[in-house]
Formats: sequence, structure tokens, C-alpha cells
Amino acid sequence: MPSKLRWGSNFIQEQKIMTEQAKKDIDIKLLAGAVIGLGIGMGGLILGLSSGDKAPFLGWLWGCSFWLSIAIGLLMLVMIFRVFNSRWTPVVRRQMEHGLASFPWLGLCFAPLLLVALFGQENSGILWSWINPENMTVDGIKVEGITVADDVLHQKKSGYLNLYFFSIRLIFYFAVFCGLSFWLRKVSFKQDQDGDPNWTHLGVKVSAIGIPATALALTFGAFDMFMSLEYQWFSTMYGVWFFSSGIRSALAVTILACLLLMRKGPLNGIYKQAHQYDLGCLSLAFTVFWAYISFSQYFLIYSANIPEETFWYNIREINPNTGEVSLWFWVSMGLIFGHFFFPFIYLLFYKNKINGNRIAFIAVWILAFHLLDLYWNIIPGREIVPGAHVGYEARPVFGTHLLWGIASLIGVGCLCTRVVLKSFNSKVAELIPVRDPRIIESLNHHE
Amino acid sequence: MNIKYGVAATFNSAKSLFDAAGKVREEGYKEWECYTPIPVHGLDAQMGIGRSKVPRFTLAGGITGFCTGMLIVWYMNAFDYPLIVGGKPYFSMIYPFPVFYELTILFAAFGTLFGMFFLNRLPRHNHPIFEHPSFGRTGDDKYMIVIEVEDHKFDDEATPAFLKDVGGKSITVIREPVN
Repeated sequence: MPSKLRWGSNFIQEQKIMTEQAKKDIDIKLLAGAVIGLGIGMGGLILGLSSGDKAPFLGWLWGCSFWLSIAIGLLMLVMIFRVFNSRWTPVVRRQMEHGLASFPWLGLCFAPLLLVALFGQENSGILWSWINPENMTVDGIKVEGITVADDVLHQKKSGYLNLYFFSIRLIFYFAVFCGLSFWLRKVSFKQDQDGDPNWTHLGVKVSAIGIPATALALTFGAFDMFMSLEYQWFSTMYGVWFFSSGIRSALAVTILACLLLMRKGPLNGIYKQAHQYDLGCLSLAFTVFWAYISFSQYFLIYSANIPEETFWYNIREINPNTGEVSLWFWVSMGLIFGHFFFPFIYLLFYKNKINGNRIAFIAVWILAFHLLDLYWNIIPGREIVPGAHVGYEARPVFGTHLLWGIASLIGVGCLCTRVVLKSFNSKVAELIPVRDPRIIESLNHHE
Repeated sequence: MNIKYGVAATFNSAKSLFDAAGKVREEGYKEWECYTPIPVHGLDAQMGIGRSKVPRFTLAGGITGFCTGMLIVWYMNAFDYPLIVGGKPYFSMIYPFPVFYELTILFAAFGTLFGMFFLNRLPRHNHPIFEHPSFGRTGDDKYMIVIEVEDHKFDDEATPAFLKDVGGKSITVIREPVN
């Protein structure tokens, strides 16, 4: 029974789920994965810069943003748990706080994209085409296309979409993420040492400021990093889409991490069915929320039927030159049924939320489809092809961008996992926030 | 005239009630109930009660609502009076989707509410348990187990004795007045 446990230093001993040797082995493997993955990705970026190939950049953005979205979801969840002063969460919140350690490294992973934009000269607009005013772009009237500088749709947006403001914004977003994660980790970890309840009050204050700050940063971050890939297109739902995806994948990662820790021993008897049930319910809620947002975005654009907006969905459904259904259509259908319909029906059932194997299955499923969702959002685009009927072609599903993307996905993933494991294995924090005022309620959480 | 409703036994603590409830379940009683002044975690499982059946009504309501929404749109817009609005097809899964899902939610909520009423046998204006002279104390400091005469194992002598065995105090027979 939890009440019989002596809180304090003995937890640090129990936290050693692995021998020192096993820890070192995993660390070396992750380091090797990070070096190889990021090395290949970086090699791709250099190759792409010299040959003007966009694919490695798209792949890199896709690989980094998967992990970024998880980290942002974790950040939001930690702050939401804080401001609601929720009773059941401290046990799982600590596992999420370790995840927040990855933000500075994610910032480093995004840095090459910004450096290319700032110093890439004639290739500065290789990923975000609007950065280079000389780049050719699609025009609504002239099939041959025009330069970005001549495009009225860019001229009108240039007060926002210009390189210097863009660079400052990107740096600012990561400053917000890193600063908040630093403070949230500090208030939580310091409380382990001195047990001062004022850390909890400070945590609430940091979160109350942090939620709107993160909401703005992730919304405009999604606008800048993903939406501006096709700068003519716009959707006010886009930030909310990114938020809901992030929360879904963060919940999936939390469920997997807690289950792993429970089965390996440390959280055995601490992470209970009630915690898992609540995390499952949140997953269900955000599955519906993701569908609501994604459908609303489609629905508004479909109803308004304005070419500036509809092309974004057209290149995800059909070949714009022939009007035939393309492979992207099946990816879109896969998202509707695989990312919404199946998890929704599956998570409706109580047993699927409390059974460890069943919820682990759907957590992995959601992460896989989140990856596909990001791919669907980032990769398709209009490639200028002078001879084509409409002046451009939609980028295909399969291409070198997928290979480069998988390399950076593995690289960034290994890097982030290593940082998070390092935080977990370090002595800075107990396994659970043992001196949190809500800890007993969290340990005794009941359905 | 009265008819017998059941036998009640009181307990002084949640723990004694919890233990007694386990014994009542093991004895094989089905038609019985616990009354407590505070929520006792795990009592449902101890009593052998499964999960609520309300979600089934919710699901049925939701599916009915979704189909009703589709039927409304199809009947009005594609069958009874075909009309082109905004260049959209007569019937599609996209433009009327808000109607589908609003009706899904509405009917699911109806299913939940009325399913709960149905399963709780509500509304009802009185309950025989209120005839117990100190039933009010189960809202204050007493815990109570009531075994109903409806139960197939109920016996006029054995059941009160059994309740006494499992630690029940002030064994009381509850009678329901009937005109």
C-alpha cells in the first residue's frame, strides 16, 4: 500500500531499473542512432543546398516536427495539469516533465533550416519558397508562373512573411518553449528537495502565463513552419490542428512510458488502472477534437470554394493536371479512417482503455498515424513544371523526401530519447514528485 | 396492510460494511443494496456489480442520431424536393455533416439521460427503504445493508441471522405500506 512507503531517499535507489552497464549500452546505441541519423540528414541538406533539391529539407522538417509536436503536447499537458491543480496527475506529470528536457535540442535541430534561410543566398528559399523573392511561384491567372516578388498574394503578406521577422519569431518560439520547460522542471524538481508548497503556487503562476504564451507560439509556429510552405494558402484552424495533434501524440507517449515503467518495476503499484483510464479518456477526447478541427478546416474551405484555398486540398486528392485521383487521396482516406474513425471506436470501449496491451496498441497506432498526418501536411506541394497544363505538379507521396525524412526522424528521435533518459536517470528528480501536496491523492486515485 | 420489503442491518464504519458486503456477495445474494454516507471506493466490485449499462444506450442513441440526420438530409434535399444549394450535390457526406454529428450528439445525450432513468427505474416518488425509522442516518454516520425479499435466497429466519453474523447491528424488517 502506498501509505506504508517511506517517502524520500529510498526512491532514488528504487529508480535504478537498469544496471549501469545496461544504461551505458543504451546510451551508446542512442548516441550512435542520433549521429548516424542526423549525419545522413545533414549530408542531405548539404547535397540539397548544392543541387537545389528541396527533398532533404522537407524530410528534415518532417522528422524534426514529429518530435517537436510531442514535446509541445507534453508542455501543454503539464501546464494544464498545473493550472487545474488536478489531483490525479502528479504521478504521470513527473514522467512528462522529463520529456520537456528535449526542447533545447529540438531548437538545435531546427537551427539548420533557419541558417539556410538566413545565409543560403540564392538557395535561401529552398524550403520556404517565399524567402527568396526571385523564386518562381504559381499564379492564379498565368500558367507560366511569376516570381514571388511579383505575386500580390505575397506582397500583401510581406509585412508578416519576411525573413527578418520570421527569424525573430522562430527564435522567440523556441525561447518560449525552452524557458517554460526550464521553469516547470525547476519548480517540480526543487520541490522534491525542500518540500516547499510555494513551488506548487509558482508552478501554477508559470503555467497560467505559459498556456497562452505556448498557444500563441505553437499556433504561429505552425503557420510559419508548415503553412507558409505554400504561402498563398491560409487557415485559421491550422494552429489548433497542430495543438490537437501534439496533445494526442504526447498522451500516447505518456501512456507508453508509464506502462513501460510499470512493467519494468519502478511505477509498479503507483501507476494504477485509474490513471491509465483517465489518460485513455483524454486520448479519446482529443481524438474527437482532432477530427473536429481537421474536418472543420476542410469543411470551411470546401464550402467557400475559393481557388486560393482549395488548391491545398486538391493537391492532396488529385493530380492537378489530369484530375485523376492520386495516391495522396488514399493517404487522406487513411487519415480519416485510421487517425479518427478506428481510434475513436476503439477507445469508446472501457476494456480497451484499462488493458495495458490494448491501450499500448492504440498509443502506437496513434503515433504512427500522427506521423502520417504530419507527412500529409508537410510534403505535398506545388512543384513548378513549365510545360504542365496548370503550370505545376503535385509532389508525389513517395520520393527521396521520405528517405531523408526517415533518417532525420530516427536521428532526432534518438537524440531526444537520449536527453530524456539522461534526465530520468539523473539524480535531479525522484521517480514521482514525492513532496507534491497532491501526491497522496494521486497515489490513491480511484475511478 | 403491509408487505415485507426486506431486512436492514446497520454498520458503524466503512470497513465493517465493506467486509460484510463481500460476505453477502459470497453468500450468493443478488437483490441487495448498500447505503453509505460517503462514497466508498471499490464497493461496486466488492458487491459484485459490473460496469453501468448506460453507455450502451448512449451508443445506440448516437447511431440512431447519425442515421436520422442522414435520413433527414437525404429525404428533404435529395428525394422530396431536390434542390441545388451553393453548387453542392443533392446528398453528400460532406456538406450536411454538421447536421449528422449534431444529431449524433443530441440523440446520444438523450440515450444517456433516458437510459439512466430507465436503468434506475426513475421517476418514482417513494421507496420502501424510507420506511426504515433511522434511514436518515445513512446520510450522516451509519452504513446500511438491505437484503430484499425478492432475492431467491431470502429466508425469514436465516437472512436476519446471517446479517447479524457478518457484523450488522439493529436488524430491522422493512415493511412497505400498501392501500
